[in-house]
Amino acid sequence: MKNLTIRNLSKTYFDPYAGTNVTAVHDVSLNVEQGEFVCIVGPSGCGKTTILNMIAGFLPHTGGDILVGGRPVNGPGPDRGVVFQSFALFPWKTVLENVAFGPKMRGVGKAEREKIAHEYLALAKLTEAAGRYPAELSGGMQQRVGVVRALANEPDVLLMDEPFASVDAQTRMTLQEELTRIWQEKRPTVIFITHDVAEAVFLANRVVALSKGRVLEEIDVDLPRPRSWDALNDDPQFKELTGRVLQLVRSA
Amino acid sequence: MKPVILNIWSFLVRLTARFPSIGSIAPFIPIVAAWWIVTELQIFPRVFLPGPGDVVRSFGLLVYTGVLPEYLQDSMVRLAVGAFWGIALGIPLGILVGLSQRAHTALWPLLLFFQAIGDIAWLPILVIWFGYGLVTMTVVIVYTVIFPVVLNTVLGVRSIPITMERAARSLGCSRTRMLWEVVLPGALPNIVTGLRNGLGYGWRALIATEIIVGTSGIGFLMFDARRAGSVVEILLGMIILGILWYIVDSWILAPIERATGQRWGLVTR
Amino acid sequence: MMQHRLSSALWFCAPFVVLLVLWTVLIPYFNVNPRLFPHLGSVIQAGLEGIKDGTLIQHIGASLMRVAVGTVLALLVAIPLGIAMGVSPVVSSFLTPLFRFFSVLAGIAWIPIATLWFGYGFGAITFVIFNAVFFIVTYNTLLGVSTIPLPVRNAAASLGAGKWAMLTEVLLPGALPNIVTGIRTGLGFAWRGLIAAEMIATNVGLGYMLFVARDFYKTEVIVLGMIVIGVLWLLLDRLLLAPLERATIERWGMVQRS
Ligand SMILES: Nc1ncnc2c1ncn2[C@@H]1O[C@H](COP(=O)(O)OP(=O)(O)OP(=O)(O)O)[C@@H](O)[C@H]1O
Ligand SMILES: [Mg+2]
Repeated sequence: MKNLTIRNLSKTYFDPYAGTNVTAVHDVSLNVEQGEFVCIVGPSGCGKTTILNMIAGFLPHTGGDILVGGRPVNGPGPDRGVVFQSFALFPWKTVLENVAFGPKMRGVGKAEREKIAHEYLALAKLTEAAGRYPAELSGGMQQRVGVVRALANEPDVLLMDEPFASVDAQTRMTLQEELTRIWQEKRPTVIFITHDVAEAVFLANRVVALSKGRVLEEIDVDLPRPRSWDALNDDPQFKELTGRVLQLVRSA
Repeated sequence: MKPVILNIWSFLVRLTARFPSIGSIAPFIPIVAAWWIVTELQIFPRVFLPGPGDVVRSFGLLVYTGVLPEYLQDSMVRLAVGAFWGIALGIPLGILVGLSQRAHTALWPLLLFFQAIGDIAWLPILVIWFGYGLVTMTVVIVYTVIFPVVLNTVLGVRSIPITMERAARSLGCSRTRMLWEVVLPGALPNIVTGLRNGLGYGWRALIATEIIVGTSGIGFLMFDARRAGSVVEILLGMIILGILWYIVDSWILAPIERATGQRWGLVTR
Repeated sequence: MMQHRLSSALWFCAPFVVLLVLWTVLIPYFNVNPRLFPHLGSVIQAGLEGIKDGTLIQHIGASLMRVAVGTVLALLVAIPLGIAMGVSPVVSSFLTPLFRFFSVLAGIAWIPIATLWFGYGFGAITFVIFNAVFFIVTYNTLLGVSTIPLPVRNAAASLGAGKWAMLTEVLLPGALPNIVTGIRTGLGFAWRGLIAAEMIATNVGLGYMLFVARDFYKTEVIVLGMIVIGVLWLLLDRLLLAPLERATIERWGMVQRS
């Protein structure tokens, strides 16, 4: 796992209907150390997805640099795992095959990659579901598969774009707790995008508040781990932090 | 009166639940019975509408003389050859047009137009080019099968969500592997649907071709019978056609279509 | 927006222009025998002559007339029948295999017996078209009505819909997307059946025009006929049937399985 450096990143879209340029991301700089968990939080339309898609290599950037382990990003690659809001599991592959997909692309043999996949499935408590197809799982289970599929490829950076936005509130809390647990176990570098301030503070080591395509402020979160909603719900420090971030995001 | 019908009905329901194929046979019983009664009552002259018994007898005779098995085999082989080439050419073409915007711009209008001309209209000029025979028939069937396969493949390829492609890329999948790992399986339910439609059209085109330019086959059997004025053999031909296609479609093609789409959740319902 | 439409129409035509250019250049270049494939010029000439002496118009008119009559008759019978049968789940599930069987036979397979029963001519051909449309539309109507969710029917009934209102307000509109799909497929088969039947069983019509031209190796007439057939169907399907289907399906957010 390596660190991620973003320098003066910007993105200008050309809007063909209006015939004008729209700048969605202005001059964003960010440094994420290896093993860090960074949450980017901000209101709808502030450019979160755009930033993430540029890091993932899905979108070309129009200014600045993105470096992973010192090397510039050029298109999507296995060094940056992505977890999608819409899960994006391959419906024609079983859960096991989905998780084994990354290793398969690396040329890992069948027995070996299935062993890897089983290991990661166990991590997400999905051993039972290994032989099922994604359509046969609940939304929460599908997203757990999405997370371990990205992790099983052992990327340098894990990119997550509002991955829990489309599951119900209860499941979301479970998934958040599980994600922190898995993170503690594997220590991947994570960039996690959300518009939910509590979620950001709950998960992160550091919260980056974004507004209108600019970074407002970075706030360190040194709440003790392992974190659980039961403990944090009335934790004064947690309340204070969420209150601060919320104010930042709303004031802008 | 009513309880008797209800009893029969519930018996039928239980029977079809155990043997689903009976469910598809049951509705034909009253039809055949009515047909039998009408012919027995001689409402229409016998030469115009022969009864079920006559058809069965002619079936036996044609099987005995070996004509029917031979014709049947000819028709099936032609369909298989045509279907094979239709698939072999149609799927790659469909993937190309589905993936490349340039190929789409250049080929899509032509595809629509040539599909609209339709197989049968090609017959006269094909006969001039290739004469009466297997080549003409194969071309017609390939022509019929290929369009539904291509158009549906394009549809399938284009309906694969972009996130699916992105997921594969960020898991280290190269563009060439993407074809096999994402594009083909993602488009598969549509491809199967196209194949099913294509074979349906191809089947009919085969019959028409055999009727018009054939020298053997079920269509030819019917047309030969038409020339001889033998309604029995025409009816026999129609029944064989219907049953054969029914078997191929609902016992082979439809289950494949459901199996691919449904388990993957790509097809709702 | 207007510009966008214009340019996409131009792009649609571009491949045809290329094809026509290839045609005018390649056929003379390779010195292709006109008995195998005609020059573009002679096809245009054949078209103009056909229009001038009225034979082309006559053939087109005859073909379209047959399709129209056969289709209208079929629809008049098929839709009410399909709805009547689809209302009862028992009847519809019982009859479904029957109609699937007959829709397999749609069109072409009826040609031999139709010509025996009705003789060569208008009757036989209309009968073939009637069959192609009738079974498929009935089947689709049946399917459409029987897939209207029971709660919808119950809701209408509890809102006070009588028998007639149920028919016009619920059953017919509910089955409409299926009916339109059925018409589109059925007409596709009917059109092919028409061409085939005209080759065998008549002395006027597009299919006849093609088939007679073959006897005299008049490839320019054959190709002209093919183009006319293609253009007519394209117009019918793309300008009438496809938009109709899209309108009914999309408007109500009903997703077809297709
Ligand atoms: N393809 C595009 N073309 C033009 N403008 C775009 C495009 N994609 C995004 N934008 C604009 O860029 C800005 C940022 O969009 P982005 O999707 O990154 O927001 P977001 O923070 O992810 O919002 P949300 O929380 O709703 O997902 C928006 O104003 C949007 O309208
Ligand atoms: Mg977003």
